[in-house]
Amino acid sequence: MLLKKYKSVSSTSIVAKKMNYKPWTVIWSEEQTLGYGRKNSSWFSPKGGLYFSIILPKNTIQDLQTLTILASFVTAKIIKENFKVEPFIKLPNDIFINQKKVGGILTENIIGQDVKFSIMGIGLDTNIEKYPKELENIATSLKIETGKQVNNEKILKQIVKEIKNQLKIISK
Amino acid sequence: MKLNINIKGKKRIIEIKEGNGRIKVKIGKKEFSFKDKNGKEDISVAQTSIPKKKFSKKEIKAPIAGIITKIFVKEKQAFKKNQKIVSLSAMKMENEIVSDFQGTIKSILVKENQKVKEGDILVILE
Repeated sequence: MLLKKYKSVSSTSIVAKKMNYKPWTVIWSEEQTLGYGRKNSSWFSPKGGLYFSIILPKNTIQDLQTLTILASFVTAKIIKENFKVEPFIKLPNDIFINQKKVGGILTENIIGQDVKFSIMGIGLDTNIEKYPKELENIATSLKIETGKQVNNEKILKQIVKEIKNQLKIISK
Repeated sequence: MKLNINIKGKKRIIEIKEGNGRIKVKIGKKEFSFKDKNGKEDISVAQTSIPKKKFSKKEIKAPIAGIITKIFVKEKQAFKKNQKIVSLSAMKMENEIVSDFQGTIKSILVKENQKVKEGDILVILE
């Protein structure tokens, strides 16, 4: 895994799409100014949260679809193991704690005759301490829920490692 | 003779054997046997056992079922290689469909927010 860390970017997935990096390169930023989710919804991405995009190896669209769902399970499992909280997954790819959104995954594929390039963007609200009023009741962070400071790099590495394992299993 | 062939994204091992006046073709666990009448004549097995891929460069088809979220081009518009043509939101992913070559958009068969099935023709190119 090659980790490229930035202080601030528009979106880690936008950066990943413009670069010609090798598979399993991870673009990680402390904040995003234009973080987005599915259907171009915006993703609140201030400092404190964990925002990264993984450049995936070439794969069939069916395997990528499976991998995206597995990534939600992987992320939820890692949250559960590290923080002893009970996350739940709202399919396709949002993670909730106590009925509030804590994380989301967006896989984007660039397709010609076949899949040319795929990026999996993951946003996890780790150390966000305060939300704007419009998000207060629908979003939460691991710090708010557990009172503990999260080591973003440790969690990022665990998630990427486990996604890599899952891809090996499904593409056998 | 063993051949590794990729059919519809799946790797297949095809084994061809000769013996006792017959030609056997094994694909996965299935085996097909052909009688060689003259014992000498070659029988073209490959042509009948491997379907040709129907790839048309002139159409853009939906690679997966989903909803067309954005159409980036207009009819009669020229496009470059790797230009975004449409964006398709499948249940778990956003897919940007790009052109593999340069040309002109002949017609657009879908609208934004339209549901499509896998294999549906979205755009015709020329």
